[in-house]
Amino acid sequence: MNSIWLGTLLAIACAGVEGVAQMALKQSSRRPRRRSRWIALGVALFAVEAVLYTAALQRLDVSVAYALGALSYVSVALLSAMVLRESVSVLRRLGIVCIVAGCSLLALHG
Amino acid sequence: MSRAGRKSDKSPAVAASRHGVALGLALAIVLDTAGQMLWKRAAVGLPESLSPAVLLGAVLHDPLPLAVLGVFALQLVNWLLVLERAELSYAQPITSLSYVTVVAMSVWLLGERLDPVRLIGVTLVLLGVGLIGVDAIRRARTP
Repeated sequence: MNSIWLGTLLAIACAGVEGVAQMALKQSSRRPRRRSRWIALGVALFAVEAVLYTAALQRLDVSVAYALGALSYVSVALLSAMVLRESVSVLRRLGIVCIVAGCSLLALHG
Repeated sequence: MSRAGRKSDKSPAVAASRHGVALGLALAIVLDTAGQMLWKRAAVGLPESLSPAVLLGAVLHDPLPLAVLGVFALQLVNWLLVLERAELSYAQPITSLSYVTVVAMSVWLLGERLDPVRLIGVTLVLLGVGLIGVDAIRRARTP
């Protein structure tokens, strides 16, 4: 696999992991009885994300990798809509469309 | 605005706190940008491995990743100080300015290329993050 493509996939994976980590931290405030478990899961996922982002930076320019990190807004919005049943406003949807368009451009252009 | 409100706006404590928030937000952007530049430099020097053991071993022999950790520790302390005085939904969108500073510094310090397609891509991302920030502020205003 082309190294830039692998880097791009790693950066996208970071955004996915970030979304799940944020979800775990949110759950820690919603479920007080299992609070410490959710926090531990969140912190562990942040450590995984740090390793993945390091690997992404080895293959991508930081200007691209950092911008791709904005996809975490997308994963957080998707997960909060699906798991937490939070509503996603029109303005936020519009923001997500812009982020996805910008990241697609960066990913395809290299 | 009530007279009491005006009076408290002019009090030295509130003025100092506002300067504190502005300074804290500026510092957050600076630390975020510096952290990314250092992380990039550190990543290039580390072995291309996803194994935590290999990475941890390499980190212990290299001061740069430790500097990255130091910057993020400072970032965390600074952020907690900012949040003591400002709402998250107001503070967070302002820090999205780091999308501009990271690109500018990566071009200036690391010599990364910024062609028109990249510029459009990053601008779209910034616009999207900005819209989400505006949404967060609007949501905070309507209880």
